[in-house]
Amino acid sequence: MSVETVESGAGAAPRKGVSILFGLTLLGLLLFLWLLLGFATNSFWTPNNISNLLRQGAMTAILAVGQTFVIITAGIDLSVGAVVGFTSVIVAWLLAAGVPLWAAIILTLAFGVVIGAFHAFGIVRMGLPPFIITLATLTSLRGIGLLITNGSTISITDEAFTNFSRADFLGVPSLFWMVIVVAVPAYIFLHLSRFGRYLFAVGSNSEAARLSGVNVHRTIYLAYILSSTCAAFVGLLLASRIGIGNATQAEGWELQAIASSVIGGTSLFGAVGSVHGPLLGAFILATINNGANLLNVNSFWQRIITGALIIVIVYFDQLRRRSAR
Amino acid sequence: MTELQEARDVRTEGLTVATRHPVPKGEPILELRALQKKYGAVEALKPASLTFLSGEIHAIVGENGAGKSTLIKLLTGVIRRTSGEIFWCGKPVQLGTPHEAIERGINAVHQEVVLCAHLSVAANMFLGDEINRNGLMRKRAMTDAAQRVLDDLGFNLPAGAVLGSLTIGQQQLVATARAAMRGTQFLIFDEPTAYLTRQESAQLFRLIRRLQAEGVTIVYISHRMEEVFELADRVSVLRDGTHVGTRKIGETNEAELIALMINRTIEQIYHKEHFPAGDIIVETRNLSGPGFQDVSLTVRAGEIVGLYGLIGAGRSEFALGLYGRHRPSAGEVYWQGRKVDIASERMAMDLGIALAPESRRDQGLCLNLPIGLNINLPVFNRLTRGLTINGQQERENADRQIRDLKIKTPSRRVLVSAMSGGNQQKIVIGKWLSHGAKLFIFDEPTVGVDVGTKAEIYRLFARLLENGAGIILISSYLPEVYELADRLHVFRGGRLVASHDYRAASHEEVLTQAIGV
Repeated sequence: MSVETVESGAGAAPRKGVSILFGLTLLGLLLFLWLLLGFATNSFWTPNNISNLLRQGAMTAILAVGQTFVIITAGIDLSVGAVVGFTSVIVAWLLAAGVPLWAAIILTLAFGVVIGAFHAFGIVRMGLPPFIITLATLTSLRGIGLLITNGSTISITDEAFTNFSRADFLGVPSLFWMVIVVAVPAYIFLHLSRFGRYLFAVGSNSEAARLSGVNVHRTIYLAYILSSTCAAFVGLLLASRIGIGNATQAEGWELQAIASSVIGGTSLFGAVGSVHGPLLGAFILATINNGANLLNVNSFWQRIITGALIIVIVYFDQLRRRSAR
Repeated sequence: MTELQEARDVRTEGLTVATRHPVPKGEPILELRALQKKYGAVEALKPASLTFLSGEIHAIVGENGAGKSTLIKLLTGVIRRTSGEIFWCGKPVQLGTPHEAIERGINAVHQEVVLCAHLSVAANMFLGDEINRNGLMRKRAMTDAAQRVLDDLGFNLPAGAVLGSLTIGQQQLVATARAAMRGTQFLIFDEPTAYLTRQESAQLFRLIRRLQAEGVTIVYISHRMEEVFELADRVSVLRDGTHVGTRKIGETNEAELIALMINRTIEQIYHKEHFPAGDIIVETRNLSGPGFQDVSLTVRAGEIVGLYGLIGAGRSEFALGLYGRHRPSAGEVYWQGRKVDIASERMAMDLGIALAPESRRDQGLCLNLPIGLNINLPVFNRLTRGLTINGQQERENADRQIRDLKIKTPSRRVLVSAMSGGNQQKIVIGKWLSHGAKLFIFDEPTVGVDVGTKAEIYRLFARLLENGAGIILISSYLPEVYELADRLHVFRGGRLVASHDYRAASHEEVLTQAIGV
């Protein structure tokens, strides 16, 4: 069918209101899951478990926020899991080589920037589809990480670094604080700054954006650099949490990040997405995994439930969008 | 023998299918009695009674939102009527599904080609109705049959070619041939020439007349009056969902039809005000780039410079070149007397050039984003304070354009895709009004735009000129550039081939220069 146009769009609901409604629905789902698990198990509402849940969800949440920037430009970043594993190796390697902690952290994040810039270079200059270039780095980065470690792991002896992930601040795990550290600037960037508007415009119609004076290439660089840098940041957090650098860690996390983003209302066709959506999506997934563990559900079932959840949530989101037209 | 088999047999023979249901020429083939469509409380089509006679070409005209699309959708079974009756060959019918409409021989050819660009012409013509033997497609037979139909219609097209490699016009012809091949007796054309060149339109018209001669009833929907008068036997006018009248083409004229459509006279549409020409804003000297060579022209403050030519004559390419898409391969650009090197779109904007591009859908708008974001897109750097956008200014800027341009929307948050063509064009224009410019380039600003909005756009041109801007107006619709441009340049094959002062040459002269006979 051709593109349908209706006069004056009287039936179209204001977009912002719908987005808030969708966010509240997700929040409702999350609270419902928490209540349900509270009734079904004795151990869910224990401080220990809640901390654990927040730690589990934190890393996916940060990856999902970065991923969302890329998906809004109608791209995809398959490499984030590999970047997490790779950067955990980098930071362990740097620390083992005697580099001071602050320098190791900055250098590791710089690796994230370089990887993201390389993705954008491949897309913008070489004309490769985002799927392909990030698929290529997914496998290469794991290979490079394995070469560096010779297939084994590098342990981290820096106590200050490894203690960080176990620490609490104001009774909340420090890893969860890191989500806030990422989410607040991300929210300002995506929803309040012009660069956020440019991400949406490029994802919707890059030619129109370009003719309106938007620097499309720079916008794509920005999206992929932010995604990879978020992944490098998660690499640091993971290295801190498990105390080792290992290139095979974080296998499949890219799919978790994409799933969180999509559950959070991001459209894989681009130009639709938010910061709060993927955060809620990540914690919904973490809650399901956590709950399934507490209920002694076979971990194979967890995968099936996650898959079913993606279908159900995205289906309802599609219905909502269609009726909003 | 079922109808489908019959259609399949005759389909390979050519176009003799319309004789299946002999409704004598001139007798009613499709009758609508008090047909009505409501969406909730909104009445998209008020009870309309219309009769289509067998073998006629029946034009339907009306502004956007007048109910034309609703009518087509009702006839092709895409939507169901709220009330009223439809009689097909004298018998009441439902027309509840697209399948039923096609089975009865009612088909539509849309403005945008809805076929598979990656398949061959033959595969598209047989799509969904392939010739099979033992479950395997007979590719050779289909290609041959398709080729016979194309040859028979006088199209110089290879049936084996990939559809996407053809021009839009050629694809449109394929879509028509496809409908003709399927035993269509009643064929609806929905603004088929919107994206066609003149030659392609002429070819399509020959095909339409040919189908008519074979007994097919044609419904032709268009914004272009000259096409209606060239083709149609009768014409029906819709306004605000109401059928306001049907006329025999010999008993009406353009002025009457426009008056029926919009309650306004034709002089009021081409609104031309003359302003004293000011300083030169931009001058190109022997400018060349991809798609255009050796173009020299000037634009002064207060004047409209028209660029006329066929699609592909290099006008849009010249506009994009001036707008900094590519570095020119030769020649110079002088901006207010100073030589400039426009290396990017942003630089062009910063100088004071605005471009409302040729295709709203592909170049002009982010369709699945809100109106407000589209309007503000060129000016976000101006709306930014520190790190963030000033939300209040952002809202005010969008609302001001919506108000000034009378964009019909309940809110700036509505997605652009929900707007009609005319309103979408206003959004493109609003974008550039909010940015402001010294030189406005409007590339085909009125394609797919209703007459009322056209008049508003032309009046807006006068307002821009009054404020000291200059305008480059690119159009494939001769009356538009002819009536509005203070200086008219004709393009052909990427070159500027002739220039005329306001109304200094006749239509025929300009046309001949554009076609190059």
